[in-house]
Amino acid sequence: MTPTNTVTDLSKGKPSEPPIEILNNETARIYTHIHPVLVLSLYALRFKAIVADPVPALTNTLIPLGVMQIAFAAICLPPTGSEAVVAEKRKPGEKKKPGQGKVASAVNGKVIPAFLSLAISTLAATPILMLTLILFGAPISTHHWHTLLAAAHISLLAVVPLIYVHGVDGEKWREIVACLLPIDEVYGCLIGSVLGAWLGAVPIPLDWDREWQKWPVTIVTGAYIGFAVGKLVGGTLLKGKKIKFE
Amino acid sequence: MEDGEPLPSYEGIAAAFAKAKAEKEREEAQGLKGRSADAAAANKLGEVHFKAAHGLIVAFFSWILILHVLGIYLFTSGFLLTRLVLDQKSECSVPPVELSHAYTPGSSEAGCWHPRTFKKAIVIIVDALRYDFTVPFHPTGSEQPHYFHNAIPVLYETAVNNPNNAFLLPFIADPPTTTLQRLKGLTTGTLPTFIDAGSNFAGTAIEEDNLVAQLRNASRRLVHLGDDTWHALFPGYFDPNLTRAYDSFNVWDLHTLDNGVNEHIFPLLHPSNTSKWDVIFGHYLGVDHAGHRYGPDHPAMTAKLNQMDGVIRKMIDQVDDSTLLVVMGDHGMDAKGDHGGESDDEIQAALWMYSKQRLFGRSSPAYRTPPATAKERPVAQIDLVSTLSLLLGMPVPFNNLGAPIEEAFIGAKGDDYANLARVNRLTAAQIHRYQHDYALARGLDESLRASSLSLWKAAAETWDKVSATKKPTRDQFKAAVQTFSAYQVETLSICRALWARFDIPRMLHGVEVLVFTLIILAIYARGLQGDRTELTPALLVRGLAGAVLGAVVGAGFGFAVPDLPLAHTLVYCTSVGGAVGMGTAFWYIRRRLSSPLPNTIWGWVSVIFTLALSVGFAANSFTIWEDEILLHFLCTFGVLTMISSFRQKNTIDRALGVYHSILFIVLTRVASLSRLCREEQMPYCKSTYYASTTSSTSAMWQLAIPYAVAFLLPNFIRSYYKGTRSHQGSAVLWIDFALRFGLLLSAAYWTIDAADDGEWYPGYSEMLKTTKIIIAQITFAIALAFGYSTFSWAKPLLTIETKARGSEESAGQVVADGGTSSITILGYANVHGSRYALLITMWMLAIFLVQKPMGAGAIGIAAWQIFSLFEIMDTNKLSDTPIGPVVLGLLGSFHFFKTGHQATLSSIQWESAFIPLRAIKYPWSPLLVILNEFGAQILCAVAVPAIVLWKQPPKKKGLLGDVAKAMATHLLFYAVINLATTMWAGHLRRHLMLYRIFNPRFMVGAVVLLVVDVVGIFIAIGGTRWSFLSVAEVFGWT
Repeated sequence: MTPTNTVTDLSKGKPSEPPIEILNNETARIYTHIHPVLVLSLYALRFKAIVADPVPALTNTLIPLGVMQIAFAAICLPPTGSEAVVAEKRKPGEKKKPGQGKVASAVNGKVIPAFLSLAISTLAATPILMLTLILFGAPISTHHWHTLLAAAHISLLAVVPLIYVHGVDGEKWREIVACLLPIDEVYGCLIGSVLGAWLGAVPIPLDWDREWQKWPVTIVTGAYIGFAVGKLVGGTLLKGKKIKFE
Repeated sequence: MEDGEPLPSYEGIAAAFAKAKAEKEREEAQGLKGRSADAAAANKLGEVHFKAAHGLIVAFFSWILILHVLGIYLFTSGFLLTRLVLDQKSECSVPPVELSHAYTPGSSEAGCWHPRTFKKAIVIIVDALRYDFTVPFHPTGSEQPHYFHNAIPVLYETAVNNPNNAFLLPFIADPPTTTLQRLKGLTTGTLPTFIDAGSNFAGTAIEEDNLVAQLRNASRRLVHLGDDTWHALFPGYFDPNLTRAYDSFNVWDLHTLDNGVNEHIFPLLHPSNTSKWDVIFGHYLGVDHAGHRYGPDHPAMTAKLNQMDGVIRKMIDQVDDSTLLVVMGDHGMDAKGDHGGESDDEIQAALWMYSKQRLFGRSSPAYRTPPATAKERPVAQIDLVSTLSLLLGMPVPFNNLGAPIEEAFIGAKGDDYANLARVNRLTAAQIHRYQHDYALARGLDESLRASSLSLWKAAAETWDKVSATKKPTRDQFKAAVQTFSAYQVETLSICRALWARFDIPRMLHGVEVLVFTLIILAIYARGLQGDRTELTPALLVRGLAGAVLGAVVGAGFGFAVPDLPLAHTLVYCTSVGGAVGMGTAFWYIRRRLSSPLPNTIWGWVSVIFTLALSVGFAANSFTIWEDEILLHFLCTFGVLTMISSFRQKNTIDRALGVYHSILFIVLTRVASLSRLCREEQMPYCKSTYYASTTSSTSAMWQLAIPYAVAFLLPNFIRSYYKGTRSHQGSAVLWIDFALRFGLLLSAAYWTIDAADDGEWYPGYSEMLKTTKIIIAQITFAIALAFGYSTFSWAKPLLTIETKARGSEESAGQVVADGGTSSITILGYANVHGSRYALLITMWMLAIFLVQKPMGAGAIGIAAWQIFSLFEIMDTNKLSDTPIGPVVLGLLGSFHFFKTGHQATLSSIQWESAFIPLRAIKYPWSPLLVILNEFGAQILCAVAVPAIVLWKQPPKKKGLLGDVAKAMATHLLFYAVINLATTMWAGHLRRHLMLYRIFNPRFMVGAVVLLVVDVVGIFIAIGGTRWSFLSVAEVFGWT
């Protein structure tokens, strides 16, 4: 898809692609800041239940989290393939009238892609993440539901917005996995959630005898906090920066 | 070799190549060696240069090794203070001092040194019976009694109501407050130290003189009921018919053991059975287990204490007149119900003695009530030893340091100071004899015990006066008691100072030396630009000059200031001098210095892995779970290299990199399934290393693992050679035949071992033993003798193919073409790597043999991972970064756990010394244990040079310097870990987990560093000499 010279450009550090911008309207700009607060509040609210009995509590939390992520994507993010259009539309400042069939186009152009992203991340990303968790030391013969749910939460947090924005193009996803894209709010969610989940493993071995140290509470907590931090930092401090390996 | 026969093909190649070169001046065709006379001379010079540079690098690393040894020695000598165990035993007929009161010693019936008071005794240990459990609760303010209060009142009641029959006192334990250490103290009367030098290192049986051994020597019939720890300490001491031991580890079970003891102890108290025994040791664990499981403030504790109350009342009821009944706790428990440390709650136990005869007294009426808290009138637990010995007519054990308990000897009226003075004098005299022998054996200075010697003299003089007086008064005896007691107290405090204190200056100096060495190593590894072989001579010369200067200064100080021990100043000044010398050398070459701080993501990842691990060792949890942390880090590394691989432009590199990264992660996880849990990991860990958690033999299915490795691994290794067409020449013979055969033999060894252990063929045991030892010896011969001959004589794994033009398929291997045909050197792409990696597989075979079947699987996986790592390094072009050597360090540490080891003394597999030998043989047996214990780290250290040699052009400049750099980085990883564990052990020297967690981890860290130093220098860097020389045979030095 993407020609090889794009890759070369990328690795030279030239921003061949701009970072993802939040949609240029009031609602989007406001909601993008409310969204992490809502997600964290949801988690904080459910935290006690999750600690008490992770499997049902995490399962129940998936639904509101999914709704929130769909809302975030539909309200704030440009759906896949539309970046250029949106960016152009933005400049004239003439965004008040999107035309007829407002509801229908919103459903077709936003809600359906958002649902699709949700479905794809649940079906594709969750098993991969679960496998990754097991490879990193999650119990191999027990706690399968715990691990699966942890993976589901991470994939909802990290992957849904990415698929909504970038689609399922193979070369695109190679760049995503290879950390070649410029950092933005959406990419920040992925990096933040994954790093958060990684750091979430730190308190598990401590001998504090706390209920919340049990699998997979710390991992999920780390992912949620990492999501919020990554989204914030990715959208502000590190926006447009690239990860360098050498 | 130059003009010998074995090289004709290469000569031909060289000629053909020179011709081709002349025709086409291809720059990158780094060719074979020149043929002119000048070229030959230059080549010879190149070889000399190489040998000199190689020798200097070995010398430099050896110097680092010496600095490590010196630093570790200084720290250890200040940290692991040892107590010498004397073998002397007290004898019944040889009192320590002439008896002055017309008593004939020698009869254990009447009493050895002193008339005995009791014929029989029942010694009951209620594990973790804290003192405040036994005394009535007096609320301070509005405090409510806890569940553990007032639940076992019998001890206090009897002591108050019948003071002549019973007394109750606080009973202070010497930490560590673990049952095993406490039982040692309660029977030998001496202080615990980490290493009791002289005792059997691996075993637990008490070899020192002790009360139980004395009783047995006097043919007393001993019965033990309860906690089986006693049998580990006193194997075979107890009457096998009456004794009942119970497993002490199941802390969830509160009742089985206690009920078992009750079931068997009360019948023995029946008058018809009392003639069958002399002393019963009963050890109840229910209170301790209730504490561990529920904590002290729980109804279960009340119930348990109530049960004990009933048991003791029943014993009081049934015991006969001539029997002494002792009830005590061996330690207390903290607020959570655990113990092991030295907090007040843990060391304050209770001691209660009871007799039907009115024998006990108090020296003051105020003492009739037992102390309200353990702070008043406590007695030390070691005091029990002399007390019980004298009451039962035994000699005081030789190493005893405790004093007789006043209440037991002062008589019912509380005024028999003559008796008290006699027992105090006997005990003090025994302590004096012990101290004298100890000072002789250890070569201790008289000045160390000057204070106690003068007290001894004073006490002896007081006693002489008493003896000279015809009718000594009470006060005279009282004065004698006080002087002997003063001597005992002083001696005890001196011994505590000797055995339980740390020599802080030595420890600090040791740490300083390690820090200096670390800085030198860090600059050498990561802070120098260019070829290390050029810089090493300056470093070495100045370092040595500094060391010599330092040694002179140190020796001068040592002789001039007698207060400073010579060894200490000499070692310290030498190391500091050497470090300063190296410092000046760095100044000298300052233009070549660069910041050792990382500047790529790989540098940072290496630093983060190393430092995170090091910081974690400050916490006991992270130390306990090190294996899981290493798994986490290794997988993280695999994910990072996978990301990095996805970034590669070349699609082949990308695909290979991703494949090997995923393979690396999966193999890590598969290896992680092999676990041998340490006690502290329970119950969150399940051991899989052996057939079951309680056995140390392999299951049947595990015996198949080495066979699987033998069939598969050579193929896998071959595939890494085939990628660059290097699978030829000696590699075919070695990998496909010798290595595979050796692996099969090891697998057979473990099958025969299982057959022998499991007695599958009874009667053939001797034959099986002989067979397996022969097999093991053959395997070693293949791995090391045949392996090293192959390795040192093998030619580079190359062949030449001449092809007609147009049929070139492997572009990378065409180095020159001229006219009608092209020359392809097969194996050219990885000539250094493939040649050196033979050494890795040889050592892999040797290590493979000494691991149990499960560990053999882990070693096989480790070898596979090492080759994958080479590919990852190559496809991601990481050979110059520190990540490769650091990941090898992580991998070695990880597989240390996967080969059934832990950072504990108990996990050392001593039996591996006997794999190829029938009896202990020096130096082979310790080397075998090291090969088993640190096999994974050794394997990974041997692999380090291949990181920078893998797929490098044969004539790349500075390859040897790269090897030095990689090895320095690898050693740096272990040096940081060692420094961290050393500092934590020193800093946490008062931590209650010191002996269980921090100290063993420090010891592992130190030994691993030294082992890896030695292996890295002499096996790995030493091995590169052969492989470089052999490659240069073909490609020349210039």
